[in-house]
Amino acid sequence: MSVVLRLPSLLGIGLVWLYRLTWGALFPTTCKYHPSCSEYAIQALRKHGLVRGSLMAGWRLLRCNPWSRGGFDPVR
Amino acid sequence: MNHMVVFAIPVLSQLEAVMRHVLVWFHTTLGLTWAWSIVGTTVVVRMLLVPLTIRQIHSMQNLQRYAPQMKEIQKKYKNDRQKQNEELMKFYREHNINPAASCLPMLLQLPVFIALYYTLKHYHFPPGSDLSWLNFIHDISAGTTTQWGGYLLLVVYVVSQMASMLYMTTATNKAQQRIMLVMPLVFVTFIARFPAGLVLYWVTTNLWTVGQGLITRRLIPKTPAPSTAIERRSSRTPPKDDGGTGDNGAKPDEPLPQQPKPQATAPRQVRRKKKRPSRR
Repeated sequence: MSVVLRLPSLLGIGLVWLYRLTWGALFPTTCKYHPSCSEYAIQALRKHGLVRGSLMAGWRLLRCNPWSRGGFDPVR
Repeated sequence: MNHMVVFAIPVLSQLEAVMRHVLVWFHTTLGLTWAWSIVGTTVVVRMLLVPLTIRQIHSMQNLQRYAPQMKEIQKKYKNDRQKQNEELMKFYREHNINPAASCLPMLLQLPVFIALYYTLKHYHFPPGSDLSWLNFIHDISAGTTTQWGGYLLLVVYVVSQMASMLYMTTATNKAQQRIMLVMPLVFVTFIARFPAGLVLYWVTTNLWTVGQGLITRRLIPKTPAPSTAIERRSSRTPPKDDGGTGDNGAKPDEPLPQQPKPQATAPRQVRRKKKRPSRR
């Protein structure tokens, strides 16, 4: 994939990093999933692009609630 | 410019509008000052998150039971964090544990923070309104470091942030704990530029977390009782075993089946009764 095509997903990954360094760093809680939600988001963005990657990351975040079981959940 | 960026993203402007309405409601209907309206909003937000927290307390209580086994896993894969995580996840699954930590409740507070930030930046408070708080903050919409009370608020922020981080975490790793104590000192350099009202939000939410942590810690020791009871029982058992010798087969049993009867003083009788039904 050319860099131009990858730009949107790179933008998304940048935002995830921004979150990690700011808001995420304020909360020492560890995610109940492996890979963690932010890592999952980065992998999903890389693999599936901005739109699908964001939707996948959003769905994972909704699943990462106190009622869910957590566990090993890689990007497919 | 900043204004334009916010209104270019409809979600942000919507969030800001909602926050403005909430603050105005607190101010006009409940008659609170603007600063106390921020505190009120924060308390309401945290109260809405209480069901999530209760659920977390339950799973933390459950986790506490398995703490020794989990520590062993952590020790075993000390140098490989990835493997450590995977093994812990497996352990959770095997023992039907729901880990306490989750990302959603933490993330839900982010929109509130952003909304408050933009509200304090953009909202034109009616002329002559009281923007002070407890006589030491003069203007909650002004930069924190533009007023002497702001520095005091920042000190309170750092202390409350450190405390809340320590209460929120289940991390036993000392290096991690040290980072947590340093983090607030890093953050304070950014937060100092924010409006004082935003720091007030942070202080309130941190204090709530600490209070919640204190209650949680009081509640949690109730559950590990079975595990300590097991230890106590195992130390008690030898002398009793001398009396009732035939318990060899029971020793390899996992502690789990013993958990339901920690208070019972006569577990041995129950065991004998188990044998009796054949006689009956």
